[in-house]
Amino acid sequence: GKMAAPRIAVALAPTRAIAHPSPFLIAEAPSALDRGGGMRPQRSGLAAACPSVSVVFPGPVSRESCCRFACELLKHVLHQRHQLPLPYEQLAYFCRLQHLSFASSKKCQQVLMELEGVLQHLEVMFSLTLVPRVLILLGGNVMSPKELYELNLEGIYEGCAEESLKTASCVRKLFHALFVADVFSELKALPVMGTVVMLQGHRDCGVDWFRPKLNYKVPTRGRKLTVNLSCDGVVNVSSSPPQHVTSTWEDYVWFQAPVTLKGFRE
Amino acid sequence: MDEAAGDLKQALPSVWDSVQIHVEVHQKSSSTAKKEDIRRSVLKLLNRHNVVFGDYKWTEFDDGFLNSNVQSVSIVDTELKLKDRQPIDLSKSSLSLHIFHLNEEGPSSENLEEENEDIIAANHWVLPAAEFHGLWESLIYDTEVKSHLLDYVTTTLLFSDKNVDSNLISWNRVVLLHGPPGTGKTSLCKALAQKLTIRLSYRYRYGQFIEINSHSLFSKWFSESGKLVTKMFQKIQELIDDKDALVFVLIDEVESLTAARSAFKAGTEPSDAIRVVNAVLTQIDQIKRYPNVVILTTSNITEKIDMAFVDRADIKQYIGPPSPAAIFKIYLSCLEELMKCQIIYPRQQLLTLRELEMIGFVENNVSRLSLVLKEISRRSDGLSGRVLRKLPFLAHALYIQSPSVTMTTFLQALSLAVDKQFEERKKLADCV
Repeated sequence: GKMAAPRIAVALAPTRAIAHPSPFLIAEAPSALDRGGGMRPQRSGLAAACPSVSVVFPGPVSRESCCRFACELLKHVLHQRHQLPLPYEQLAYFCRLQHLSFASSKKCQQVLMELEGVLQHLEVMFSLTLVPRVLILLGGNVMSPKELYELNLEGIYEGCAEESLKTASCVRKLFHALFVADVFSELKALPVMGTVVMLQGHRDCGVDWFRPKLNYKVPTRGRKLTVNLSCDGVVNVSSSPPQHVTSTWEDYVWFQAPVTLKGFRE
Repeated sequence: MDEAAGDLKQALPSVWDSVQIHVEVHQKSSSTAKKEDIRRSVLKLLNRHNVVFGDYKWTEFDDGFLNSNVQSVSIVDTELKLKDRQPIDLSKSSLSLHIFHLNEEGPSSENLEEENEDIIAANHWVLPAAEFHGLWESLIYDTEVKSHLLDYVTTTLLFSDKNVDSNLISWNRVVLLHGPPGTGKTSLCKALAQKLTIRLSYRYRYGQFIEINSHSLFSKWFSESGKLVTKMFQKIQELIDDKDALVFVLIDEVESLTAARSAFKAGTEPSDAIRVVNAVLTQIDQIKRYPNVVILTTSNITEKIDMAFVDRADIKQYIGPPSPAAIFKIYLSCLEELMKCQIIYPRQQLLTLRELEMIGFVENNVSRLSLVLKEISRRSDGLSGRVLRKLPFLAHALYIQSPSVTMTTFLQALSLAVDKQFEERKKLADCV
């Protein structure tokens, strides 16, 4: 069965069609979405300190989609938590055109270059191994961060590209849920600090950019948000069971990106 | 048969029966191999090479698995326990294997005021840190400073871990290192923390090292009084709450805290300062109760520290300037490094003091250069470790400046650099 039972299932009806699939555009326009209704996920009782958002996809999801979830969540968190002055895509765009006064600054280019590096290596990692969990750690150090965002993919049924749900619609669904749960608005502003990405992968996946951290354990302190993703509905014979079932837990170890993404302000 | 074995045991020096041999295994940062597999391969390696003379380090292996997963296997700290260099039969010793990965990230800084990033209250490392690697070996002391400290803190942590009733047996986890500047007190604190994290890795997953900047406690937050100190220690408390972490708190130059107290008593210090100091002392009392904390403090001047603080420290260790014997060892390690980098070329075999002693300090082709070094070491008496480690650089910069020199030329330059050092000291003293 599934390894992680979602705490709150957000069983949304098919999301309304949005012309631009770019997730940050959704996030940039909160009033356009229905924030009321019965669909707002509640934070679970215990979760005042540790809120979670769960999304159930109505079918198998491809590995590429899982990678996109991680990348988009990273970009989103960096902007929402004040480590980037603009959403990533806008920043990259202006930086290329050198429209903004700060955009031409070395600092901005440096940050974008490092972030692009991490995003590329995330793709490599996802192509090499199943990734059950991804962590985005802000501030402090990896053992005691100020804030921690966990993307839990343990409940995902992985399908091949043809039979899986479309990446864009899954990303939209994820961001809709995040948005409805309104997880960022209550948090107070953060100073500029370092962000580190960690993720679980198979011990023998052969990745050389990420550094294995065999002793690592997910911190229990600090502000934490968990995003649980899982799949529901008919399971095709050809799609894989939830990640992990095929392998033992101890073969999945933590890896850490060897760069710290430094936030910056205008 | 048993009798025969017993006889044999008596005939052989039996030191290693009682001595624990520590083997530090530095796993490559890219390696994901399981600890059990590494342990098995290392034990096989030690089985093949089962006699060593003192400390020894392997960096290349005849085993493919070790080559791809292990940076080095080191027999360490034998000289802390065995006075003389002697053969150690590993198959008869009790071996402790410590397998570790280094954390390559540099320190992260803790800012106390969320809005103001300029004030760095503390630096923070996750141990074992790449930055502290090799520090322990580079610190050379005459007396058994290193082994005492290591044994002391190990016992402390054992007592705490076993929940020994502190009402019946009193001990604490506060260490004070004092002595003149430049003797490596701060480095020793860092090296000790690193060492303990590696030694105790079976018990604690990782170490946290927090270096509190005690000067900034005073200069910038004066008006904020003790509030910010409390805030900083709250953060430390969060680290302590993780029972898998071994937490080291370093308060460098603690006299700057305690001097304020005595000045207050004399009426020359504003009351803000005394509030800060009292807050620090209260917080130390708070956190020293936890079993996974070691508080390390250093001071350049012993007299200035007030008793309120000195009483809090259980182990007070004086770290003095090195003796000529230690100076010889320090120079030897410097020359070894320069030969490794081929700045001194060709390579010359230098003898240790012990080896010189064994040949009765007789001068011959083998011992000549070592005897010159011994003489330079004698004349360097009084210089601190910090200055000594600078001298090979100064010798090169002032008197050599060519990319490669012979040992003889280098030693001449080193000798001149020592003389110059004393001349400059004299000039400075005359000015004052």
